[in-house]
Amino acid sequence: MKNTWLIIMREFGERVRKKSFIITTLLMPIFMIGMMIAPTLMMLYSKGEQKQIVVLDRSGQAIAERLMPAAETTFIIEERMSKGEACRIFNEESGIFGILYLGRDVEQRDSVQLITNASSSMMLEESIASQISAIIEHDKLASYNIENIEQILAEVETNIELSTYLNDGTGVEESMESTSSSINYILGLVLGMMLYMIIILYGQMVLTSVVEEKASRVIDVLVTSCTPLQIMMGKILGIALVAITQIAIWAILIIGASNFLMPTLFSVEVVATNDMMMQSLMGTLGNTGYLASLFLYLLLFIIGGFLLYASLYAAAGSAVDSVMDGQQFNTVIMMPIILSLIAMMSVFNDPNSPLAFWASMIPLTSPIVMIARIPCGIALWEIIVSLVVLYASFVFTTWAASKIYRVGIFMHGKRPTWHDLWVWFRMK
Amino acid sequence: MRDSILTIEHVSKSYTGHKALSDVSLSVPRGAVYGLLGPNGAGKTTLIRIINRITLADEGRVLLDGKPLTASDVFHIGYMPEERGLYKKMRVGEQAIFFARLKGLERREAEKRLKAWFERLGIADWWGRNVEDLSKGMAQKVQFIATVVHEPKLLIFDEPFSGFDPINANMLKEEILGLRDRGATIIFSTHNMASVEEICDHITLINKSQNILSGSVEEIRRRAGGNIFEVVYNADDDKLHTATANIATLLNESEGVVGGYRRVKMHIEDEGNLREVITRLNEQCALRSLSEVMPSMNDIFIRAVNGTL
Repeated sequence: MKNTWLIIMREFGERVRKKSFIITTLLMPIFMIGMMIAPTLMMLYSKGEQKQIVVLDRSGQAIAERLMPAAETTFIIEERMSKGEACRIFNEESGIFGILYLGRDVEQRDSVQLITNASSSMMLEESIASQISAIIEHDKLASYNIENIEQILAEVETNIELSTYLNDGTGVEESMESTSSSINYILGLVLGMMLYMIIILYGQMVLTSVVEEKASRVIDVLVTSCTPLQIMMGKILGIALVAITQIAIWAILIIGASNFLMPTLFSVEVVATNDMMMQSLMGTLGNTGYLASLFLYLLLFIIGGFLLYASLYAAAGSAVDSVMDGQQFNTVIMMPIILSLIAMMSVFNDPNSPLAFWASMIPLTSPIVMIARIPCGIALWEIIVSLVVLYASFVFTTWAASKIYRVGIFMHGKRPTWHDLWVWFRMK
Repeated sequence: MRDSILTIEHVSKSYTGHKALSDVSLSVPRGAVYGLLGPNGAGKTTLIRIINRITLADEGRVLLDGKPLTASDVFHIGYMPEERGLYKKMRVGEQAIFFARLKGLERREAEKRLKAWFERLGIADWWGRNVEDLSKGMAQKVQFIATVVHEPKLLIFDEPFSGFDPINANMLKEEILGLRDRGATIIFSTHNMASVEEICDHITLINKSQNILSGSVEEIRRRAGGNIFEVVYNADDDKLHTATANIATLLNESEGVVGGYRRVKMHIEDEGNLREVITRLNEQCALRSLSEVMPSMNDIFIRAVNGTL
């Protein structure tokens, strides 16, 4: 027991002091925060350039005068010029972004044209089209000569918000959890991808580390003081501890950064949007209890999922002489992980489909699929059953892996076949 | 006979398809330097692994101090494998402490003893360096220290001198003999026969999974050296042949040595024949010397393996 602890602490101590660990631990949050604030920054910096558009209005409805300059565009009305003439004068060198031509009957096809000197954006095109539509609609309504039309329109305008709750069977509305499919979708995706990355990243680390220990023959010295199972478990748990440490540092850095940096970085207009999604995102992120429970589940599934796969990676590493030789086994281990990702995508269509349910129960796919389902509101018993199955199968795979490991670490030379592994497994 | 620290009784071990050890018994006297010899693949490593409890024997038992080996006995055994293994990216001192603690030493005690050993073998300056910066010889020294630092009563060295230059090999030899003088028992696994003659007092020769020869080096050499004599004389070959006809068997072509003398090895069966040979050689061949030849361990090794001992 004491020796397992020594191995854990060596594995942990050596890894967290590595430069690569310190760098990735610090850079990852910066990268993630960068991803979060990039849209804001892009908005800030793309504002500088004003686009000037020359409007040739042949509609006779004075549309040009009523076009409102948007955030990035201003309109210049040119009354007398013909389209061809304007195209020649307002070319690329003129500094004008483009020409908006309004034909005689704007509702006819091809009678509203935007001729630009550089490629335009979808946002710009949509804003011009919707402005013109609104002006025409307004004119049409006005032509009915209804009294107080403006007031009526203002009164008629409606905006429905759909609040979604999860029925907990108590009938008390206050106790029900409010849900939002889009937020659940994003949260599930993020959590699932995180688990996927961690299993692959740290699982590979176990494989590499076992191979190194075997190739450098340190293992021959270690086995004189510890049993192979102790060595394997020490290594797996040591690396698990590294993973937990790294995630904890990330969590602290990201939460800290989002608390202190976000408010200043996010411009007020972004936060104050009426966007439903943004509001519920803020709501979800503000719900500390909910976040804490999510974090707890994440931790439980990360540990279970990592341990499950790490023992497989350890067995694969013990069987080969170089990391490259490990690829054939690595590919096989990757298959259920990739399958989980595919199953996870189906979760977003229907979190309670039979596929989603079973994929979140079967241990090799369960960590990734279940963690993606949890934000959608899953019955507690399902989570518990999934966890119990996961941890039970971790005990099983560790037992099976250690049977291969104890033989594999002494085998040098020929790359083993699947049959060899089976023989090792059955050895007394 | 001294009491034995390690006794192996009828140990057998097979892996799928082949027998690594079959019914091997031996006993290592306390305080001995014991050579475990044998060609590659004979089963030496398997036997060492069984002694270290890395693998378990299918049959038979291993007794340490007369009691069956238990898990905690590994603290009394130090093993230096042939393929030396150290973590490349780890600092030398920390690594040595790690291995010492795995052998049951407390950190403080481990550090104290290790520093003394580092001082003694002249590698104290390397304490804080990475293992990958060490030369091969220095890494070997670190490995040696890690093997002996917990002062085990039984030490097992697998090819300890491979990779050492003569100066360091000699220092290592002195250290090993020093450990024996301080009470440790040493098992050597090797096929370097010169080192066996130099420092081993007992050997076991394993071939094809079986113990084919066991005993003290002196005794084995005497037993194997039966009736071989080297003769130095001054005569031509014809005279030699007539002088030895029917009573001695020449083992090689005679060869010239300095001063006009010639030398030859012969096998002479019993005492009467020996006297007769001496008389005839003296009369006909100007006999200068005749001496019994002890076979080298190398000869014994080859003859034993070939079944001609």
